[in-house]
Amino acid sequence: MEILSVEHLNFRYPKSKTNALNEISFKLEQGDFAVLCGATGSGKSTLLRMLKKEISPLGEKSGEISFCGISLEKLANRQSATEIGFVMQRPEQQIVTDKVWHELAFGLENLGLSHETISCRVAEIACYFGIEKWFDREVAELSGGQKQILSLASVMVMNPKMLILDEPTAQLDPITASDFMNTLYRLNQDFSLTILLSEHRLEDALPHADKLLVMENGRLTADGEPHKVIAEMRDNAELICGMPSASRIYLELGAKGECPLSVREGKRFIQQYKNEIRQTEIKEYTHSKNKALEMKDVYFRYERNLPDILSGLDLTVYEKEFFCILGGNGSGKTTTLSVASGIKKALSGKIEIFGKNIRSYKNQSLYRECVALLPQDVQMLFLCNTVREELEDAQCSAETLPFDLSALMEQHPYDLSGGEQQLLALAKVLAQKPKLLLLDEPVKALDSASKRRLAEVLLKLRDSGVTIVAVTHDVEFASEYADRCAMFFRGKIVSQGEPKQFFSENSFYTTAVSRMTREMYSNAVTVSDAVKLCRINGLKGTENDT
Amino acid sequence: MKSFSSMHPITQAVWFILTALCVMFSMNPIIAVVSFTGAFVLYIFRNGAKGLKTHLWFFAMWIGIVIINPLISHNGATVFLVINKQPITMESAVYGAVSGTVILSVLYLFRTFSQIMTSDRLMYLCGKLSPKLSLVMSMALRYTALFTQQTRKVQQYQKATGLYKEDNIIDTIRGGVRIFSIMLTWALEHGITTADSMTARGYGTGKRTQYAVYRFSSADTVMLILSVLFGAVTFTAQISGKMNMEFYPKLSLTEITPHGITGYISYGILVILPIVSEITENIKWKYYLSNI
Repeated sequence: MEILSVEHLNFRYPKSKTNALNEISFKLEQGDFAVLCGATGSGKSTLLRMLKKEISPLGEKSGEISFCGISLEKLANRQSATEIGFVMQRPEQQIVTDKVWHELAFGLENLGLSHETISCRVAEIACYFGIEKWFDREVAELSGGQKQILSLASVMVMNPKMLILDEPTAQLDPITASDFMNTLYRLNQDFSLTILLSEHRLEDALPHADKLLVMENGRLTADGEPHKVIAEMRDNAELICGMPSASRIYLELGAKGECPLSVREGKRFIQQYKNEIRQTEIKEYTHSKNKALEMKDVYFRYERNLPDILSGLDLTVYEKEFFCILGGNGSGKTTTLSVASGIKKALSGKIEIFGKNIRSYKNQSLYRECVALLPQDVQMLFLCNTVREELEDAQCSAETLPFDLSALMEQHPYDLSGGEQQLLALAKVLAQKPKLLLLDEPVKALDSASKRRLAEVLLKLRDSGVTIVAVTHDVEFASEYADRCAMFFRGKIVSQGEPKQFFSENSFYTTAVSRMTREMYSNAVTVSDAVKLCRINGLKGTENDT
Repeated sequence: MKSFSSMHPITQAVWFILTALCVMFSMNPIIAVVSFTGAFVLYIFRNGAKGLKTHLWFFAMWIGIVIINPLISHNGATVFLVINKQPITMESAVYGAVSGTVILSVLYLFRTFSQIMTSDRLMYLCGKLSPKLSLVMSMALRYTALFTQQTRKVQQYQKATGLYKEDNIIDTIRGGVRIFSIMLTWALEHGITTADSMTARGYGTGKRTQYAVYRFSSADTVMLILSVLFGAVTFTAQISGKMNMEFYPKLSLTEITPHGITGYISYGILVILPIVSEITENIKWKYYLSNI
């Protein structure tokens, strides 16, 4: 049964010259799991918001959207509120009340349901999502993943027929994100719930999807079964770099047959090759002799009777190095950066920055031409109305930057995309000419094209002599760009090394490519490694062309 | 049966209001002592012997009142001694002692009250008056927590990105202004998303109801009836002047009549109700454990 149909939808924001959405038509059947992908600014969010009339943006609209055969405008308010669920990107901001149980009941209270109905529905939903344990807690105490599960549960409690999610996992770490995807898949399977999801991280989402919608510049350019849609994507580099690793290998090799999506399918795909040669040469990496940051036996905790967050941390980063710290949530990665940048004082242990003890940097001199820390949420740094004022405020001249912000000068910082915000924040920080740059989750919530752009900027900075330490969850990012990586666990570093060796030794905390190829190749961790090896080996039953 | 701490918010609120009102509007040494003993025992029962320092402060305050009152008020017939041509009277000291005890017992009552009446219980009570008010309060609480968290973070990161130049007051003030400005934008942006999330979940489509996790059980009924009954008896005794106390010029307690005695006894029972409820629960639990 058809649940949603969009026909010839056009939309233009007020004061804008071009259409944000152009002639969009598609249909969803009941029980579809559809993924909407596209670069930042391609109109994904606008389209999703058009489908939920309470939060549709204002502007000129033409075309027809109907839900269960009823035009969206004619849909009763109550029906629209209950039957179309909407989950947003930032869990922090969509939670309304202070207690978990109250948040779950919020939607039902709005509908004016009786106390008995509410308590029954709330109980059911808390069970299904495993919320019982933290049912009485305050929202402020929850982790990011729990908050997003709560947002989902408090929408699901209204029994929607269709669920729309706008980049729901952008703020989560990969493991939590993959759990969240599995929950969505379970909802889809258990209740035949129709799901429409926009997402950057397709590695987890696509294997579940029945339908892939691709948006480019406000147009819907592809709509169909994921294997087929991706196989036809060959010439669009921007889009391809966001696809799952298996599909990227397939596309780069220009292979024939069904396009693989998951790690399992990717492994089968690579097994079609001869795979006699197991590894490529590794480029020797030698670090500089001088230490940029040295932490020795550092201990830290937030309160006297709380456990140690850092317990005996030893960490050495050499000059002109791009160093990535990986690890699970709450393992102390962010705290390490706070301690290394002096905003939190270590309980004991030695911290030296460029060979000088951190305590001997007096009167804020640590932050002048020495260390800079970029927070996870870069919006914390913005206080002006335009990018230009923002740069003037930091006394930063746009010409000296290693990247170009000139096109964005008159925009409000909050209106920039995630990647652009990251660059603007970087620009503000670079004005102090730091030699050691500490970054907290720089690529979180970025689409793959912006990720690549940011990485290029960072590599350029490194080549100009800046030491970079980045905390990240993104193993793909670290494997591709870092000089050295370290794995954090319970307050200290448990292993470190160069990415190729580091990731091929790990068997769980590693890239999708490494998981796919570990039996065939010994050190393939990135898509280009795998592609190279497949090319060298050649398909079974063909002559080697090398 | 439930212990007093886990009873319905309305039951708890009624008890607290009655007990506190009775003691606040009577300047009667017996009522004051009974009320203080009850409030103190209830507090100790729930918290144990922790926080000795605060208890000491409270008693120091009591002693302070006993000393200061005769120094300020010189009414009364029985003069102890004369300081600086001003008489220090016994009546005034006793008045200080009684009012000190009243204050102390109200303080202890409120300490227990603030522990038992958590924010969601208070919110529920507000919601009985108006569901909208309770939602606003809930949102405000959530928002305050978020706002403080965010402000602290912004402050640290502003520092770490080298935006303060020196360690001096002017720079710190300027930093404060910057942080305020950042927080303002953040709050507006945040508010819009929250509003979207509210309308998306049907806020404003009709009349709201209030959901609460509390149930009104038989124990609540019993407790409520007892509280109101004994509270009312005490009040009538008070209003009819059977429990009055004259301090000046000479100490004199109204002649003790049967009506007055019923007043004292019912206040005693009122004060002891929650303690009895807590103790019975404790005994029941111990008994239950010993039977496993």
